[in-house]
Amino acid sequence: MNTPGRSRAFVRLFAIQGDWNYERMLGIGMGWAAAPLLDDLRTGDPARHTAAVVRSAEFFNCNPNLAGLALGALARAEQDGVPGEQVRRLRTALCGPLGAIGDRLFWAGVVPALSALAIGAVALGAGAWAVGLFLVAYNTLRIGTGWWSLGTGLREGLQVGGAVGRSWLPRAADRVGPVAGFAVGLAVPLAGRWLLRGLAPTDMVLAVFLAVGGVVLSRWGGTHYSAVRYAMVVLVLLAAGGMALR
Amino acid sequence: MNPLDGGTLLLLLGWGTLVALDLVSVPQAMYARPLVAGTVAGLICGDLMIGLQLGVLLELFALDVLPVGAARYPDHGPATVAAVAASAGAPWPERMGTAVLLAMLLAVLGGWTLQRLRHLNAQALHGRAAALAAGSEPGIRALQWGGLGRDAIRGLLLTALGLAGALLLRAFPPLPLRLQAVLGAGAIGCALAAVAGGAVRSAGRGARFHWLIAGLAAGLLIALGLG
Repeated sequence: MNTPGRSRAFVRLFAIQGDWNYERMLGIGMGWAAAPLLDDLRTGDPARHTAAVVRSAEFFNCNPNLAGLALGALARAEQDGVPGEQVRRLRTALCGPLGAIGDRLFWAGVVPALSALAIGAVALGAGAWAVGLFLVAYNTLRIGTGWWSLGTGLREGLQVGGAVGRSWLPRAADRVGPVAGFAVGLAVPLAGRWLLRGLAPTDMVLAVFLAVGGVVLSRWGGTHYSAVRYAMVVLVLLAAGGMALR
Repeated sequence: MNPLDGGTLLLLLGWGTLVALDLVSVPQAMYARPLVAGTVAGLICGDLMIGLQLGVLLELFALDVLPVGAARYPDHGPATVAAVAASAGAPWPERMGTAVLLAMLLAVLGGWTLQRLRHLNAQALHGRAAALAAGSEPGIRALQWGGLGRDAIRGLLLTALGLAGALLLRAFPPLPLRLQAVLGAGAIGCALAAVAGGAVRSAGRGARFHWLIAGLAAGLLIALGLG
């Protein structure tokens, strides 16, 4: 695989959700990112190139930070002349696992862990530096993961599923959950203390009461509860009550 | 309060648009997180502290959200920019409750616009079905750039609406101090409910739950130690 093609495809991975829609989900973004990787086929086998471009933009969905694994593996399969139906089956087979591992690793793990640590640091007086560190840490991780993903996909081709299973990804996804749990737990009292400073004790009691009430509702309020809806109702009721009492 | 001049509003509009794009389309570098969006908006408004405070508060709401696939979730980024614009220059927690209410309304509206955008992208897809079936690279490129363009317009309009709301809030005289404090406490209580509820829900009953409790205990000890 030519290096400029790999670099261009990697840059395009940052916008892989640019045309997210309910029919093909990441499909169009995958097709756009795959184009530099399929360039070699254009001169060698134009008919194969056209068929590969059609397949590259079909339905696909997974965590965007791991999409490089699928992108690389599918491009490698096309380069290797794997039958089209087999390429399609690989594409379908990768959606679930890459979505599940990626969502656990990033959306339920890395992001809440780093965000909560940044909140805790801000609450302890680190200021905007903590926010900058959050951005640097997250982007170092995701860029590193993205580059590794694309390279692994290109190297492994049809064997990418096994390569993912043997890699660091499943272990990392298992381990980051408890870290995120601890970080979020740590951040809650620190953020509460920092945000409530300067308020009267009665207001602090009100905040704690509403926090506990919200947690109870979130556990037993069913699908009607959402944190944003709860906040809107509480704030409107408090404002209306306050204005009525004036 | 700090006046918001035309230049500041233009910068906020540009920042809000970038923030909206970052949520899903490009580059997902996490500057759409309220913590980052609020801090930068605070810098733009000349009030870094209010940006950090509202950023932290709204980040607690964002931590309740799992932005997975086709799920519908609030768009907190432009909402945070608008909330900071609404209260920049005011002492904490003056105007904080009303700014958070504005942010909640915008976040819900932002989530809805994201759904609409995805439907519009699907419609554009139908318009180029023949090109896609023929393996046209220009067709794929046009769809990709079209999707990005539509999301940029979504972000621009959402931020513009948020800034209009912020200017409206700033034009009103502040609420009585006592009511402001109560609203501020209400907003903080709801934010803590959001993060704690989300954390308990995602922790389940396994190791993550035990680590959550351990973190909570450690955080309480530190908070109490600091007085």
